Amino acid sequence: MKRLNKLLFALAAAGAMLSGTSSMAEPFKVGVCYDLSKAYTFASPQISQAAMDLAKLINMKGGIGGEPVEVIVRDHGNEPQRGIECYSRLSREGVFVFDTLSTPVSLAILPRAMQDQRILMQSLVGRGDAVDGTVFEWVYPVGPTYWGQAANDIAYIKQVHNGDLSDVKIGFIYFDYPFGQEPIEILKTLAEKEGFELLLYPVQLPGTDQASAWSKVRRDNPDHMISWMLSGGHVVASKEMQRNRIPMDKYISVNWLNEVDIGNIGAEAATGLKRGTNVVGGQDVPLRLEMIRELYDKGEGSGPLKNTEDVFYNTGLAMYSIIFEAARKAAELEGLPITAQSYKAGLESLKDYDADGMMAPITVTAEDHGGGGKTRIEMWDGETWVPQTDWMAAYSDVVWDVVKESSSKYAQ
Amino acid sequence: MELVFLAELAVNGAMTGLLYSLFAIGLVLIYKASSVPNLAQGALTMLGAYVVLAFADGLGMPLWVAIPLAAIVMFGLGFGIERVALRRLAGRPVIMILMMTLGLDIFLRGTTMAIWGATSASMELGVSYEPLFLGDLFISRIHLVGSIVTLVLFGAFMLFFRTRAGIKLKAIADDYTASWSVGISVERGVGLSWALASVVAVAAGVIWGEIQGVDQSLSLLLLKGLAVAVLGGLDSILGAVVAGIILGIIENVGANFLDPLVGGGSRDLIVAAVLILTVMIRPHGLFGRHDIERV
Repeated sequence: MKRLNKLLFALAAAGAMLSGTSSMAEPFKVGVCYDLSKAYTFASPQISQAAMDLAKLINMKGGIGGEPVEVIVRDHGNEPQRGIECYSRLSREGVFVFDTLSTPVSLAILPRAMQDQRILMQSLVGRGDAVDGTVFEWVYPVGPTYWGQAANDIAYIKQVHNGDLSDVKIGFIYFDYPFGQEPIEILKTLAEKEGFELLLYPVQLPGTDQASAWSKVRRDNPDHMISWMLSGGHVVASKEMQRNRIPMDKYISVNWLNEVDIGNIGAEAATGLKRGTNVVGGQDVPLRLEMIRELYDKGEGSGPLKNTEDVFYNTGLAMYSIIFEAARKAAELEGLPITAQSYKAGLESLKDYDADGMMAPITVTAEDHGGGGKTRIEMWDGETWVPQTDWMAAYSDVVWDVVKESSSKYAQ
Repeated sequence: MELVFLAELAVNGAMTGLLYSLFAIGLVLIYKASSVPNLAQGALTMLGAYVVLAFADGLGMPLWVAIPLAAIVMFGLGFGIERVALRRLAGRPVIMILMMTLGLDIFLRGTTMAIWGATSASMELGVSYEPLFLGDLFISRIHLVGSIVTLVLFGAFMLFFRTRAGIKLKAIADDYTASWSVGISVERGVGLSWALASVVAVAAGVIWGEIQGVDQSLSLLLLKGLAVAVLGGLDSILGAVVAGIILGIIENVGANFLDPLVGGGSRDLIVAAVLILTVMIRPHGLFGRHDIERV
């Protein structure tokens, strides 16, 4: 009898444990389907590391409304088919918020996410016109579009020339494929509007041979060079600029230029170089410092410390702060568990959110899924990034004309 | 358009073309011995650059020590590839060997990614960035250095093919079976061609690494290098050098005229056009051997 009692007690204890397990809160999951092995590897390790770190920190603080958060990182190798597989598999596991950090994969998933009514985050990649929330209801490219970034670059140049661009020559050097070509139309529109001369310098992928382009630049002598290239492309460009004696302070890069590129150019040689950005560069950023204190100093970081010293880590912290803040808002607005619908409401209630000074303040609405598209220009002073402007979203009327024209075609 | 600018485009195009020739020489060496375009030559170039950096940055050696050491390592690797991967394919259809080189390319890219990651690293050779002007003509110093390296290697291989080992390689290229029958070790010859191509890959990796940084994109040199090798004749080192110069000039000068007309992108079109026309009009290239097979 005693033995039977012991057995019953053990079963009861096991049952209690099991029921305890089942009553534990389900985590809020984010599907991070990233290219961790091919084209985007210059940024994806830092960004995914930031996502995992942020999830750890939030869980250490008790999660969101008591629910833990979980980021599920998978590699799609920048292949749309693998991206779709990742999306489908994680959807079956109950994930309804996805991030791809890849334009081709994002384009492949977009129609499915729209149909399935799942959230597709696509900061800094994918269709620029998806900021139009009236058409792309389930897609959130929070952050600047390339059109907006280019327009903000022109606004900065206008500031430098005291508001008059009529005698100014602006060169645009770009990877000659869709990423690089995207800002051309808006630059042409602004050239007409502001009266500056626009000079185009296409560079073939992978950007290793830029010698003739920079020879032309030397001859044309534009006042500023806006650059839409990636990673090593900037390094080649900077070396060609030095060889052609073109001052580095003419160079204004798209946001995809990081500390690795500065290291390869040479910290001293890169002095004066500028980039447009929607996140704060450097390491003295409150959220990053908290990560170091709470995770890396205790040996609990999600990857190498070196990755946290890169602006793309800051970019990841900014992107995932938005994602988790929207979840917090969703829980606040509509309670737990968070659903795709309540998460959407959470996203669209973000107002002037800047992740404790980590990025440009964003306000997401049902109409504007980009959050306002603010960026600023920062300059490398030889040691760190120094802001040259406030956060700004210039020529928004022109940018939205382009957005509406493009999104209306999708709507048809 | 100013004549000086046109001349500048032509000269710099020719030098850039010679850098592609440097790469293409590796392709030609392997083709001469095994009649297969080595699709892993881009990955070998990337690996060569990484090995140099491993010695220089990883072990703190000066570059003048790191580069020869890397060349020795890659020489051994070239022999190893023949011994481990290619020897057992002897007598199989050429397409199988081609697929093996493709597999090797994927394997090397994956391995370098796993070991060194995707982050770009710099290769500082100490060549000055100060502009060099010949009159009004701007010359890029690193391209000039790379062109000289190409011509030196070209000269060295011309001499090599007059040595006993070189003549054996030529014999293998001419006729496998006949070479076997007269006691030439074809396996060793093929191994030597892979080893030499791997050493050339180090040279190309160092020069291109200085220009663009060392990362996975170095492997993409294959496409342009292949175009140069096909134009020159896949079995001609002289062809690789001349074709590099021609393609470099056509591409640089042509793109300057065409880009404004077609809105960019004409460089790839020019290369594609040259490649297609070569295959259609002169399939053995400018200096390649024209074999006629009797059925």
